[in-house]
Amino acid sequence: MKRTAKTALAVAAVAGLTLGMSACSAPAEEASGPLTVWVMGDSGANFEKLVADSGIEVDVVAIPWDAIDEKLTTAVASGNGPDILQIGLSKLATFAEAGALLPLDDLIADHPDLAPENFPAGVSGLSTAVDGKIVSIPWTSDTRVLFTRTDILAENGIDAPPATWDELRADAKILAARGEGQYGYYIPQWDAPLPIEMTWSMGGEVIDADGNVDFDTPEFQKAVDLYTGLYADGSVPTNSDFDQTQGFISGIAPMLVSGPYLANGVASAAPELDGKWQASPLPAGDGGSISLFAGSNLGVWYNSDQVDQSLALLDYISQPEQQLAWYQLTGELPTVNAALSDATLNADPNVQVYTAQLATAKVLPIVANWDGVVGTGLLNALNSIVLTGADRTTALDAFFAETKGLSVK
Amino acid sequence: MRNRLVPYFFVTPAMLLLITFGILPIAVAAVISTTNMNISAFASWSNVDFVGLDNYVQLFADADFWQALGNTGLFAVVGVPAIVILSLGTALLLNRSQNWFFRSLRAFYFLPAITAIVAISLVWSYLYNTQFGLLNYLFSLVGVPPVQWLSDPWLAKFSVALVAVWRGTGLNIIIFLAALQGVPKEYLEAASLDGAGEWRKTVSITVPLLRFAIFFVSVTTTIAWLQFFDEPFVLTDGGPLGATTSVSIFLYKEGFRLNQFGYASAGSIVLFVIIAAITLVQLRLRRADDEY
Repeated sequence: MKRTAKTALAVAAVAGLTLGMSACSAPAEEASGPLTVWVMGDSGANFEKLVADSGIEVDVVAIPWDAIDEKLTTAVASGNGPDILQIGLSKLATFAEAGALLPLDDLIADHPDLAPENFPAGVSGLSTAVDGKIVSIPWTSDTRVLFTRTDILAENGIDAPPATWDELRADAKILAARGEGQYGYYIPQWDAPLPIEMTWSMGGEVIDADGNVDFDTPEFQKAVDLYTGLYADGSVPTNSDFDQTQGFISGIAPMLVSGPYLANGVASAAPELDGKWQASPLPAGDGGSISLFAGSNLGVWYNSDQVDQSLALLDYISQPEQQLAWYQLTGELPTVNAALSDATLNADPNVQVYTAQLATAKVLPIVANWDGVVGTGLLNALNSIVLTGADRTTALDAFFAETKGLSVK
Repeated sequence: MRNRLVPYFFVTPAMLLLITFGILPIAVAAVISTTNMNISAFASWSNVDFVGLDNYVQLFADADFWQALGNTGLFAVVGVPAIVILSLGTALLLNRSQNWFFRSLRAFYFLPAITAIVAISLVWSYLYNTQFGLLNYLFSLVGVPPVQWLSDPWLAKFSVALVAVWRGTGLNIIIFLAALQGVPKEYLEAASLDGAGEWRKTVSITVPLLRFAIFFVSVTTTIAWLQFFDEPFVLTDGGPLGATTSVSIFLYKEGFRLNQFGYASAGSIVLFVIIAAITLVQLRLRRADDEY
């Protein structure tokens, strides 16, 4: 457990290696050989299947979601990155700030299929540009909707999934009253976007007119009322190791806000529940039902020696048929408009909910270290109130102070 | 004159390794700790500025850092005696016989020390799980309500420390068993002839003769607890609400998740100073001891 030495050593290595980095960052000729692609999560094998017929050789490396920061740091420091990498939208600013992403503005001129107008406005072109440069191409979209066990709701006299947060809170209370160990709703303690979705739904914003992070608003206070109220009602489990898929299948937590991946998890783990659960729009507040546009983009590594080939691959997987094939393989929704509006895709009523939700969904602000500072700070503040009874004003004031001065890139 | 240089020749290889992998990184960290270096440094070195002691000032005003220091202190205060006493006690009991059963028990106690931390964390997180964990299942059989092993901020500290104690005893038991071989049989026989009982012999002869082993285990265990990292990293990731965040976890998160290299380096220098100071104090106390 020689951690200090290790940490110090790593920092030293990082510092030393960067000295050599600038010397070798100008690729002269397009190299050949397989493209290295970093794919997030466990979709590596699926990605190989997807691009099998593209005529482009790829070497796929699957990166676990929680290891991406460490992986990025070492890759940037050593200059040994992939050619193409998948980037969660909340990490985009951090990646770009590190100089890890190649600006694509000029390159996409040769690839009309990669033009921003082919994608939803919220995730393409200037809205995800960093310092005015386009550094990524949308790849998959993901949003948050309400999932309910309609059978359990009906047994308890609730005819339809709640359409507003007020209804949700009332219904959750009824469902939690089913008995010991039963809950109405589930709030993942790691879900940083949830309070922000609540704020948006209350009609608020988390960025002020000048582009600064600003949570000190009446709408955010309403969102905090809702978040803490669900705990105060005893409607949500308090243990951090609660498994949401299991909780939903067993019916302990018959309502929760999650993404399409939950639907896939439930459908594969409990096919017998088919028809007993459904997706419906995120509950609305005074500002409507405004959800999160999550999803991932793809970028090209700053010193890739196969830029043309990388762009060709991006072009290939941005074709509507490939985007739909990816949905078949993984359940991740397309981002290309033509694929999102595809009739067969929208034949599934749950998918209709997702695509309709995406139409009004918003991306998290492109702020460097959003996850690390804002996301963590927000969760710590809210969870300290609901789990340890911390004083609300003190906790929130500390959070406001922590996020003061952060602004959109 | 020539002879005087010979010793230096012999220590050179060890010194070179120590300087390259021990002293140099600390020096580099000390330099980085006076800058605002973060990940944007990789884009351009012009993004790095000298900030003097700002990182240290900020560090000592950081409530999270104090929480991490407090946690580390608690881990050390609870964990060091726990590991020393448990492994000493187990070693004394294991030393009572050399038959096959006791020998296989030695292997059994050593297993946690050589098992991969990932496997350990997987098994323990299943044991600790609130909903379907074995511990809560056993409790439910006798009517005890579910315990939030890793979710309750106070209990989580002890749940995490328990795994570390369980994992840390194995190696120290082996060290004590080896030291027990060095306790001369004659002393024990002489004491028996004088009518000393088992307890008396253990307390008055065996344990005092193990003094150096106890000292060694105490020092290494203290350093290990001050750098406590693996168990909370895999079991709770420092949560809930920072309750199991040790200084090492705090530094890791600042450095490798938030990419605040300057700030993390300042913290690692502080941790280095703390560990060095505590170890020096322990060495001083040891020097005051009389040899047998």
